[in-house]
Amino acid sequence: MRTYQAIAFRTAYLLTGSATDAEDAAQDGFVKAWAALPRFRPGAPFRPWLLRIVANEAHNRRRSARRRVELELRTTVAYPPGDAAPSPEGAALGRERREELLAAVTRLDDRDRDVLTCRYFLELSEDETAQVLGVRRGTVKSRTARALARLRETVEQ
Amino acid sequence: MIELERALLAIGRDIAVPEAPDLTAAVRLRIDRTRVSHPRRRWLIAVAVVVIATLAATLAIPEARSALFRVLRIGGERIELVDQLPVVAPAPPELDLEFVLGGRVTLEEARRTSGFDLRELDETPDRVYRGARGTVWFLYGTPERVRLLVAQTPLHAVAEDFILKKLAGAGTQVEHVNVGGSPGLFLGGEPHVVLLLDSEGQVVEESARLAKNVLVWESGGVAYRLEGDFDRATALRLARALR
Repeated sequence: MRTYQAIAFRTAYLLTGSATDAEDAAQDGFVKAWAALPRFRPGAPFRPWLLRIVANEAHNRRRSARRRVELELRTTVAYPPGDAAPSPEGAALGRERREELLAAVTRLDDRDRDVLTCRYFLELSEDETAQVLGVRRGTVKSRTARALARLRETVEQ
Repeated sequence: MIELERALLAIGRDIAVPEAPDLTAAVRLRIDRTRVSHPRRRWLIAVAVVVIATLAATLAIPEARSALFRVLRIGGERIELVDQLPVVAPAPPELDLEFVLGGRVTLEEARRTSGFDLRELDETPDRVYRGARGTVWFLYGTPERVRLLVAQTPLHAVAEDFILKKLAGAGTQVEHVNVGGSPGLFLGGEPHVVLLLDSEGQVVEESARLAKNVLVWESGGVAYRLEGDFDRATALRLARALR
């Protein structure tokens, strides 16, 4: 369980934007996954299977709260270099641009934001994203393309 | 990879996620409690389908936010009556029934592999599917224009609580009926949205599809479900003809 609790919590946090909801979702997800273990197909990848359950818990909380997901970027002030400084790519992008993009992502509708969260913030593969979101791989491709197009429109306006 | 994708990856690595709490103790405690209160529960298989009544004749994913005020259980189904129905989104342009119902099989294969005595109408189904939890589906009509769906699920293969969950709002009437001596429920009125659940009870988002009126009953260890554009009397007549 310790192996997966960080990614489970991160997934739930990125989907809910709330540490409290994320903790609850991850905890409920682990309990449900334990109950469902007899039905886990041996040899199947465990991580997306678990994250699917956690993501559903996160979605339930997000819906009931009807709250917009708010996420923050790390800053070099709050997180000194050597601890959690922005990634080189992130630094190259420029703080203002990063914040603008992140804000635009949080304004997308749930489906668009979820697929971008899985693909880029959690860095899941298309197959993993499909399993976590409970859709087909082709749907992940089309939703990602659509979400990127909408995001581009938003930030270019 | 396009610039926007690279930027998103970079942002993802810089999002301030609070440190993950150690959940081990809390999870272990809850699992221990579950073991005490439900010693066999983990061996039971969860869920197959959710049916959600909606005011709009569209397909969508529900955002259940209404207060639950009544719960009915029958034939492995759980029906929740709510005061406010989910908000729904536009329907997808096409529906992949094989994804929703399961793999397509021949009627003969379904008879041979179902593990229980399938009931059939005089009319041969146009398509037969075998899906989750051993459910056999008979489809009459075409995937684009479904006339009648018949589902048969062996109850030993479903969870103690339910195989179907429905949210029914004010536009849907729920009536208790007698189906050949077995108690049943007829859901009529406004169309429903059906969602498939996987073996963990999680909604399969793509499975959203339109449902019509539904008759559910249980007999001889099998849950039966008729779904179509029929009134109560027609549904009961069809149920009696299913043998």
